[in-house]
Amino acid sequence: MNDSQQSLPVLSARGLHREFLLANGQPLEVLRGVDLDIHEAEMVAIVGLSGVGKSTLLHCLGLLDTPSSGQIIYRDDEQVFQSPGLSEAQRCALRNRFIGFVFQFFHLLNDLDVLENVMLPAIVGSSKSQWRKTRHDVEAYARSLLESVGLQGREHQAPGTLSGGERQRVAIARALINRPLLLLCDEPTGNLDSHTSNKLHTLLRELHEQLGTSILVVTHDPDLADRADRRLAMIDGRFEAELNPLG
Amino acid sequence: MQYQSFLSKRYLKRRWAPWAATLAVALGVFSLLSVLAVMEGFKVEMKERIRGSLSHLVVEGIATRQLVGEDSLLDAARTTPGVEAASPFIETLAIYRSAVLDYCILRGVDPSSEAEVSDFDLYLLSEEEIEQLLADPYMMLPEDRAPPDAARVVEVFSLERRRQLLRSRLRGDDVGFVEEAPPQGLVVGIESLRSGRLAIGDTVQLSSYSPVTFEPRIGKFIIVGAFQSGVYEQDQRWAYSDIRALQQVLDLWDEDAQDMGISGIALRLTDYSQAEEVKQRLYLEISRRMDLPASDEGSIPWRSMEINTWESQRDNLLQAVEIEKRIIAAMMLLIVAFAAAMIFLILMLLVIEKSRDLGVLRALGATRGGVIQLVLTQGMILCISGAVLGLIGGWILTENINEAHDAIYRATGMRLFPPDIYYLERIPAVLRWQDMVLVCAPTLIFGFLGSLFPALWAGRRDPIRALHHE
Ligand SMILES: Nc1ncnc2c1ncn2[C@@H]1O[C@H](COP(=O)(O)OP(=O)(O)O)[C@@H](O)[C@H]1O
Ligand SMILES: [Mg+2]
Repeated sequence: MNDSQQSLPVLSARGLHREFLLANGQPLEVLRGVDLDIHEAEMVAIVGLSGVGKSTLLHCLGLLDTPSSGQIIYRDDEQVFQSPGLSEAQRCALRNRFIGFVFQFFHLLNDLDVLENVMLPAIVGSSKSQWRKTRHDVEAYARSLLESVGLQGREHQAPGTLSGGERQRVAIARALINRPLLLLCDEPTGNLDSHTSNKLHTLLRELHEQLGTSILVVTHDPDLADRADRRLAMIDGRFEAELNPLG
Repeated sequence: MQYQSFLSKRYLKRRWAPWAATLAVALGVFSLLSVLAVMEGFKVEMKERIRGSLSHLVVEGIATRQLVGEDSLLDAARTTPGVEAASPFIETLAIYRSAVLDYCILRGVDPSSEAEVSDFDLYLLSEEEIEQLLADPYMMLPEDRAPPDAARVVEVFSLERRRQLLRSRLRGDDVGFVEEAPPQGLVVGIESLRSGRLAIGDTVQLSSYSPVTFEPRIGKFIIVGAFQSGVYEQDQRWAYSDIRALQQVLDLWDEDAQDMGISGIALRLTDYSQAEEVKQRLYLEISRRMDLPASDEGSIPWRSMEINTWESQRDNLLQAVEIEKRIIAAMMLLIVAFAAAMIFLILMLLVIEKSRDLGVLRALGATRGGVIQLVLTQGMILCISGAVLGLIGGWILTENINEAHDAIYRATGMRLFPPDIYYLERIPAVLRWQDMVLVCAPTLIFGFLGSLFPALWAGRRDPIRALHHE
């Protein structure tokens, strides 16, 4: 952990603000100056009351939303991307390759089977000719990911026939298919019972250690927060204090 | 473009409702094509029949005044390059009395040369054919008739034929009386025989006016034959007689020119597509001869004249059919527009139903344009497959339209297409590629417009909102 903190962070956010204009014309300040660094192969948990702006932060970091002010920098081995200053195409490419999303409500596509759902980001991210070349490798990797999340043999099942925990495993495999540097998880176990959640937490931690992907996870679950390398508490639109991982 | 086609196929494979739009497009294209094909068939058929009884070009006096100098006119025409044959004619209106009073358009033609400029010899019926046609009111001439014989035109107007008819007519009297100068011959349309107003061998009195003296004129004629042109109006109203006889009856002697008048001359061209050029050349040649002094051999006494193609003579009729076709096409395009509206609605529903999927796709890296393309692709798949289905269906129907009609007739006993009304035994259908383009282009444009709005709308939707809802 120490050496990871010495290298440059995969993602750093500085002074993020996000305001929503309410229907009555009043502005609602949700993010009030968030600073955040996530280093390579680090797992960070964000805790906080409902409505403090955790999802909003994740959407901004995931380039689905645009902060009212502030700066986000994404770094991979070769390049540095700085938002604002990205074109729409670059934002989409970053969402596709740099970031993996895991949502509270799984959000699988019901018209595709499990394997196709896992491969979807790769399909979206490649042109026809690219896909023809890489399809084989992608499919093999998708199968190995499904094996890692414990769903081997379920490749051609419809998502509708899976349990909640299984769906979230598929969603995690999908988020990892393009080998992103950062996984953003918004209450991944918020919709699951405690036993299933527990197993999923173990899985996330395992994958994290196995793949070395940085993970930012928003959670209400003290168990999951405890397993993170760092824990940040969000109060009133900013991180109040950095909590001791085990405290 | 690749996840779009992948997902479009998946979405459309698992749902049947969107294909209702395809069916609507197919039906629209199908009915539009079939109607256009049948109307085009009618047009071609009608044009062919009208053309058959007219000649390519006609030189005639302005405002039905007569022309004089027949020989020089014919000579001028026959020496003009591009003219294959020329024949003089007279056209007038006449009233006759059979059971009731009726009128006819009386055409005086030269029996020896009329067949060279029109299809009169082809339309002239033999005795057996007349009997067959009278026995069956729906019957049309068989395709494999004996080839036309120009000599029969001469024969039907001949003195011999008139005498023979008169003889058989008078046989009952048993007087042995033979009229040495029988009336002039008249060939009438088959429909006037079918309606029972006239019969072969009847003698009728025709009344008309002399266009020269404006005096009433009366002539006695004997019905010597019948023709079927296939144009109902003509088969009912037209009558042909020998031009020389008609000149006498109508008293067409022109004192100034010291010559018998004619209504004009009819021409057949070597190549009808050259009609305009030939028309110009002929006009110049006739004008030149009209300017020559009367003493000159080739001169033509001056009369104001005009030259028309058969198409411009029947312009109104042909235009009417063409306009009818266009109006029907425009109205039937509403079906296609309706089908496009269905595509629009179905895509809107699909975008609403799949808004979460679209949000997920955006989160996974799909661009706005990519999502727009995804919806457009689905709309165009629905539209194009509908158009293709409709094209195939329209083609199959036009190829087998008469078999289809016979099948309906056998099954229901109903004739959707009674041959006596349209005067056609078979339904003509001609599928032109122009009509296919005319149908498919608007279909694809409407389909595209119908897909564009839902697609743009899908592109504008906020992915976060879509992801918020479960
Ligand atoms: N599009 C929006 N318009 C107005 N208010 C919003 C919008 N999105 C979120 N908010 C508000 O921002 C606050 C933070 O929301 P959120 O980030 O979802 O909280 P949480 O920490 O529970 O994930 C909430 O009060 C919510 O009502
Ligand atoms: Mg939230």
